[in-house]
Amino acid sequence: MRYLVPVWLTAWMRAVLVPAWRRASGVWIGAGIGAGIVFGPTGMHAHDLTELAHDVPAVGIALAITWLLVFVPTARVLVHADGARFLRSLPHPRWSPRIVATLALLALQLPWLALWILGDGLRGFALVVALSAIIVVLAAVQLRPRRVHFPPWTRSYPALRGVYLRALKRRAGDALVRGVGLASLAGLVAALFVRNNGLVEGPAAVLGAGAIAIVLIPGWAGALMPLVEAQRASAWLASSLGMSAALRVTVLAVVVAGVYVAGTLIALVAATIAFSKLLGDSASLATLVNLSAVALTCAIGMALVTTRALVIADRQLADTDRTLVAPVRDVAGAPVRVVSGAVVASAAAVVCLAWLGVLGAPLVVGAGACALLTARPA
Amino acid sequence: MTEAKKPILEVKRLAVKRGGRTIVNDLSFEVGAGEIVGIVGKNGCGKSTLLMAIAGVLSPSDGRVTVNGASVWGATTDRNRARTSLGYVPEAADPPGFLRAGELWALCAASRKTRPPTSELIEAFGLDELRDLAIDRMSLGQRRRACLAAALLGPPALLVLDEPDNGLDVRRLESLVRVIQDHASDGHGALLATHDAQLLEQLGARVVSLA
Repeated sequence: MRYLVPVWLTAWMRAVLVPAWRRASGVWIGAGIGAGIVFGPTGMHAHDLTELAHDVPAVGIALAITWLLVFVPTARVLVHADGARFLRSLPHPRWSPRIVATLALLALQLPWLALWILGDGLRGFALVVALSAIIVVLAAVQLRPRRVHFPPWTRSYPALRGVYLRALKRRAGDALVRGVGLASLAGLVAALFVRNNGLVEGPAAVLGAGAIAIVLIPGWAGALMPLVEAQRASAWLASSLGMSAALRVTVLAVVVAGVYVAGTLIALVAATIAFSKLLGDSASLATLVNLSAVALTCAIGMALVTTRALVIADRQLADTDRTLVAPVRDVAGAPVRVVSGAVVASAAAVVCLAWLGVLGAPLVVGAGACALLTARPA
Repeated sequence: MTEAKKPILEVKRLAVKRGGRTIVNDLSFEVGAGEIVGIVGKNGCGKSTLLMAIAGVLSPSDGRVTVNGASVWGATTDRNRARTSLGYVPEAADPPGFLRAGELWALCAASRKTRPPTSELIEAFGLDELRDLAIDRMSLGQRRRACLAAALLGPPALLVLDEPDNGLDVRRLESLVRVIQDHASDGHGALLATHDAQLLEQLGARVVSLA
């Protein structure tokens, strides 16, 4: 048994820590981008933000809820350790996996930990540990699946849209929770970026929308993979049921646009809360109206560009997959194509906004529409 | 003189290529109303490929497939009419695993503008226990039953079944035979690929052999 412990623990770490790290990496990227914007050369220091969180409770609560949302999906992997179910049937040490999981729980929160230790010292560390306890409790909760009613679909379009929405709900549940957290983070970052640079109205809208477009990339990308999988898995069924390729692409575009718009709306709500606490009422109202219009228009444009990337990924999968049954994740390059599509869409939005200011937003929609209309579906 | 009845399925000079290799070449046959046709042949001879091309899943390189006179690979209106007239169960591919069986049936019913499974179908395939079960939580046999029920909704003019007996227990196999025979006796057609000569004999199917 003594000799088996290191082997078992290594296998356990591969089965649990690697998937947890994969989930955390999206959060790290989002937090890194956000930190780069907020704590840039002309921006704040960690201490300024932690002090702001202490002084303005709304900002502190918003920050804590944001971190809960982005990190609970990662904590679920550590708490449930589903990947190590088989290993639990073997003789194994009792405490070492728990100790490793606890250490990993703290280590995977490094961006959050760094913010609070740098900004608030030991008190900050204690706050992170206290919040980690809440995260573990939330991660341990398992909701029971609800009984399904026969969906009242009468036409192909709502039926296919319902299928894609179910793919999001059932396959991307954790990614959606993390996406909500990253959207809140994006809104807070946009508001702090605008505040730090002393901008209002048009310029504030352009910079704020650009910040949201960049910080939300990991949030949006997490929800895209299950949509490609749903598109591929339903392809043969849709074809044999007489659903055209154009209908499938239209439904996909609508659902992707829904994901982008929902993420942006959450970011705007977070930005509104931050604005109301950080800026004067008159400045924040005009700025918020501008920011909302620009960010939502960009979101629709980015969704169209991303849909093109998904359509191309689906076509390449269809060419590769001769059996119609290979899981999308097993086909080389599919996740890379999906993520790079989301990155290109956000980069296009930032370039258009930097080039034309507020007028760049409709240009993003135009570019997205052209990109989607020229895509050749599978 | 009475006019000859049009066949439900017409396959004319069909050719299908996959990965640059010709799998099906210059194949022609028909399935008439009330007829059950079995496709037989050794492993890898192209039975599943042929059925995919007939069901509108894999585009043929040449030839024509029509269901009730509408081309499966024709113009949009024609192709929609053809495809909503057929119910297909593939051999290997499953419907999206996150869907519950009830949702799969709702999707198929919406596309064919028909109703959920009838009580006879529910009884024949024991569908009540499957309704709330996700496809990826089902056993092979349960998935076959869920897919067979989806294919039979309507009912369609033509059933296209690839190895439909895979994973079915003796009781469900008897139900399958009865359901296909009832379907044919209602004036519809059925085309199935199988290695099971006994099943074809039970069904009284005409056999088309692929070399």
